[in-house]
Amino acid sequence: MLDAGERFRRLGWTMTGLVAALAPHMLRLRPWVTAFVLAACAWRLLAERRGWRLPGALLRAAIALGATAGVIASYTTITGLDGGTALLALMAALKLLETRVPRDHVVLIFIGWFLCLSTFLYAQNILSMAWVLPTIWLLAAALLQVARRGQGGPAPAPFRTTGAMLLKALPLALVLFLFFPRIAGSFWGAPSTERALTGLTEEMSPGDLSDLTLNDMVAFRVRFDGPPPPPVQRYWRGPVLTEFDGYTWSRGASQFYFRPPVHHLGNPVDYTVTLEPTGQRMLFALDMVERWPAELAAQSWDYQLRTRNPLHSVLQYEARSYPRYRAGARLSAALRNRHLQLPPGRNQRSIRLAQAMRAAAADDRQYARAVLALFREQDFYYTLTPPGLERDSIDDFLFNTRQGFCGHFASAFTMMMRAAGIPARVVGGYQGGDWNPIGRYLILRQSHAHAWSEIWLPETGWTRMDPTAAVAPERIERGIEAALPDEELLPGRLRRDWELLWQAGMIWDNFNARWNDWVIQFSRLQQEQLLRKFGFDDPDWRHLALMLGACLTAALMLLSGWLAWEFRPRRPDPVVASYRQFVRRLARRGLERPAHEAPRDFAGRVRQLRPELGPAAAAITELYLKLRYLPAPAARDLALLRTLVRRFNP
Amino acid sequence: MQQDGFLGRQVQNWIRRRQGADRGPVTLRRGRIYILPTGLGVAFGLMLLAMLLGSLNYANNLGLALTFLLTSLSLVTMQACHRNLESLVASEAGAEPPFAGQDAVFHLALANPGGAARCDLEAATAKAEDQPVSVPASGEVTLHLRVPTRRRGWVQLDRVEIATRYPYGLFRAWAVLHPGLRCLVYPRPASDAPPPPPAPGSDGGGTARRGDDDFAGLKDYHPGDPPRHIAWKAYARSGELLVKEFSGAAEPVPIFDLALTPGADLEARLSVMARWIVDAHAAGQTFGLRLPGLEIGPQPGEQQRRRCLAAIAEFEAVEPTHA
Repeated sequence: MLDAGERFRRLGWTMTGLVAALAPHMLRLRPWVTAFVLAACAWRLLAERRGWRLPGALLRAAIALGATAGVIASYTTITGLDGGTALLALMAALKLLETRVPRDHVVLIFIGWFLCLSTFLYAQNILSMAWVLPTIWLLAAALLQVARRGQGGPAPAPFRTTGAMLLKALPLALVLFLFFPRIAGSFWGAPSTERALTGLTEEMSPGDLSDLTLNDMVAFRVRFDGPPPPPVQRYWRGPVLTEFDGYTWSRGASQFYFRPPVHHLGNPVDYTVTLEPTGQRMLFALDMVERWPAELAAQSWDYQLRTRNPLHSVLQYEARSYPRYRAGARLSAALRNRHLQLPPGRNQRSIRLAQAMRAAAADDRQYARAVLALFREQDFYYTLTPPGLERDSIDDFLFNTRQGFCGHFASAFTMMMRAAGIPARVVGGYQGGDWNPIGRYLILRQSHAHAWSEIWLPETGWTRMDPTAAVAPERIERGIEAALPDEELLPGRLRRDWELLWQAGMIWDNFNARWNDWVIQFSRLQQEQLLRKFGFDDPDWRHLALMLGACLTAALMLLSGWLAWEFRPRRPDPVVASYRQFVRRLARRGLERPAHEAPRDFAGRVRQLRPELGPAAAAITELYLKLRYLPAPAARDLALLRTLVRRFNP
Repeated sequence: MQQDGFLGRQVQNWIRRRQGADRGPVTLRRGRIYILPTGLGVAFGLMLLAMLLGSLNYANNLGLALTFLLTSLSLVTMQACHRNLESLVASEAGAEPPFAGQDAVFHLALANPGGAARCDLEAATAKAEDQPVSVPASGEVTLHLRVPTRRRGWVQLDRVEIATRYPYGLFRAWAVLHPGLRCLVYPRPASDAPPPPPAPGSDGGGTARRGDDDFAGLKDYHPGDPPRHIAWKAYARSGELLVKEFSGAAEPVPIFDLALTPGADLEARLSVMARWIVDAHAAGQTFGLRLPGLEIGPQPGEQQRRRCLAAIAEFEAVEPTHA
C-alpha cells in the first residue's frame, strides 16, 4: 500500500521521536539497555534500507524474555521507576524490530509519551520540561504522519500542523491544569528509585564534605517573611552525628531518648524552605526551630526534623526558628554517656593532649576556648584539598597534616571535648547562603555544606561551637570563596569574579525558584487561593468543578471560533466570482449548469435553448476562459467581463 | 460506520429518515456530520487515563501538565476532524456506464469553499473504499466511486459516506449522502457468440441505404466514421478531414434483431447482441438494432454504439439494483 520511501520516512519519524523521548534516560539506564535500544534502532533502519527480513515471532519472544530477565537481574524489580523505565525502553526496542503496520508505529509513539512521563517522575526541573515539550511535539507530528491512510494528496507539513494544534490545545490544557482537582495522598506507593543524589548524608568521614563543596547545585531556597538573619546566625541544622568509630561519624543505631526541652528566646524568624529532592529523610531548618508542618516531619531527640519517607520530589514547607535559644537544661545520664563515648584504643595522642589541656583550664568553657585557640594560633590550615588521613584520623590531623576542611575541625574538636569529659556531638548541615537580590531569597547550595560541633554545658545547655570559625572566620562571615586561598578552584569563585555571570546566574536561579513555587508546588492549597481570587469565599471541590466546567466551555468556544476563522470561506478569485454570477443568473431562468458541464458546453446549450442569449453567453464564456487559463490575463479583460456580466440580464 | 450488522443497519436507516434523499449539490452542514473515536482514539484515551492516575498518584505536576496537554490535543483533534468535513459541497458529476461485471464509476465532485485545505477525505460506498484525497483551499476534486455490478439494467447509488480521520486518526467524522445516483449497466458481451446472421436482402427487415459499392461523394468527418473511408488524398491536399460516402446495396448493413438472435434465454441473447454491437463498432461497421417495440436505424459511430447498448440494457430491465 505504501511505497518504500514513505515507509522509510514513517519509520524515521517514529524512531526520532522515540530516541528523543529516551534521551533523558540514556545516562540513567544501565549501559546495556541503552546500547540495546540504540542497536535496535540502527538495525531496523538498515533492515528497512536493505530490505532484510524482520525477526520472526519465536526470536522476538526469546529476546523479550531475555530482556525481562536482564532487567530483573540488573534492577532486581520491574515495578520500580528505574526498572520500569528500562523495561519500557527495551519493549520499545523490541516493538521496533517488528514495526510494519501503522498500529506498531502508534504503540511506539505511545511508549514515547510514557517515557516523557517517566522523565518527569525523575525530575521536574525546567531542563526536563525544555526537553520534553519539543519531544511531545515531535511524537505528535510522528503520529500525524503514521496515522494517515495511504499517501494521496498533498502531505501537510507535520511539524507545522502539529505545532498549530498544540498551540490551540494550550488554553485548554492550562484550564485543566489550574482547575483539575488534585488528590491528597496517593493510590499506591511512591516510585522507588535507586539514583544517588548529591547532598548531605547521615555519615561523615574526613573528606566527605570537601567533595560536596565542589558541587554548585542548589540544596534548598529560603524565602524569609522579614529580613534575613545575619550570616553568623545562618546555621541550617541537618544530620546530628553522635557515634564515632575513630574515623567516621554516624547517627548511631539507638534513637530512643526523650527530647530535652528547648526555651526559645528573642525574636523569631519566619521563612519558607523549598527543598530539592535529597533522597534522605531530613528537613533543614534554622537553629533552633520552633514550628514546622507537623504532618511532614517529627523532631527527634537531637532536634533534627525527620520525615517518614525519603524525599524524592521538591518539597516546600514553612517554619519558624529562634536564633537565640537554650536547649537541654538537664542532660539524662543515658544521653550524657552517649555523648562521651569514644572508640577504645584509638587516637591516644589526642586524648592525652585533651586531658592535659583540660587540666590546665579552669572550667569546661575555658577549655573549649583553649582548643579553638589551638586551632587558630598554631599552623592549622583551612583547605578544600586536605591530604588523606590514617586510621587514627584525629591523631594524624592534629599532629601531622594540620590541613583540613570544616569536617576535620569539627571532628577533632568534638573528640577532644569528649576526651575531656564534655558531652559533644557533630552537627551537619548548611551554613550561610547566597542572597538572590532579584528574587529576594536565600540560595543554599551543596557548596554551603558545613559541619560544626555542639557541646553540652550546664549553664547554657547544648551550645554551638564552630571550630572552622576559629581557623577561617571568613567562611562564616563571607562564604567559602573568601575563606579559601585563591589557588583553590571553586565553582562559585568564577561566578563571583564576573559580575555579569553572577547576575545571569541569579536571574536563572530566580526563574528556577518561581518554577518550583508556581508549577511544581501547585497543589490544592494554591487552587484554593486561586478560587478565592475568583470570589469564592470558602472554596471546595464543587467550586473547583464549576470553574473547571465554565473555563473549559469558554476555552472550547474559543477553539471553535479559532477554527471557524481558519476555515472561513475566502473571497473567490474575481474572475470566478463574475462567472459564478453569470451562472446564477441563468439558473434563475431555469438554465442550471451541472458541475461536470464544461463552460463551453454550457454556452452551447444556452445557445440551443435560448438563441437570443447565445452571443452574450459565448462572449462571457470565452472571456472567462481566457482570463482563467491563458497566461498573463489583462486587467482590461477583467473589467470587460464584469461589465458584460452586469449587463447580462436574461 | 460501515457495519452490516443489525445495529449498523438501524443506524443507517435512522440517518436516512433524518436526512431524507438528497437532490442537487449537498452542503455538509453540522447537522449531518457524525463523529466517534476510532479504536486508536480509544487506546489514546486509555493511555491518558493511565498517565492521569500515575501523575495524580505521585502528585507530579509536570506529569499532569503532559497529560492535560495531550488531552487538550485530542479535543482539538476532534474539532479539527469535524471541521475537516464541515461545509464541503458534494455534487454529482456523472457516471460511466460499464458492462455487467465491471465496476460502475460514479463521479462525485467535492468543493471546498473554505480557506483551509481538507486533508485525507475518504469516500466509501456500501462496498468499496478508495484511497483518501485532499481538497485544497477554495478548490475542488472529483471522487470516483466504484460500484461493482452483476447484471445489466440500472444500478443506483443510494448511499455514499464521506469520512475523514484526519488529523492523528483519533476520531472518525463522517457524513452520509443519499444521492440516488443512477447508472446504466450494459449487458456483458458474450464471449462465445455466433457470428451475426447474414443481413437479409433489400426486401428484408433492414434495408441498406448506404453501402460500400459506389462512391457517392465526400462529407465532413465525424468521430466514429470508419478510418478506412477517410479521404487521405483530399486530406493531404486541403488539410480537411473528409470521408468518402458510398451508395449501393451490394454489402447489406446488419440489423441486429432480438427475434433472430440465438441464445438460451433473454439475457443470453442480449449478451450475444452486445457482443455483435461491440464488434461491429470496433470494426467500424454501420449497424442497426431491432427490439420488440423499438427500432434503431443503421448508423456508424460511437453514439450509435451507446444508443444500441443502452437500448438492450434497458430492455425489460428489472428494478434498479441498489448499490
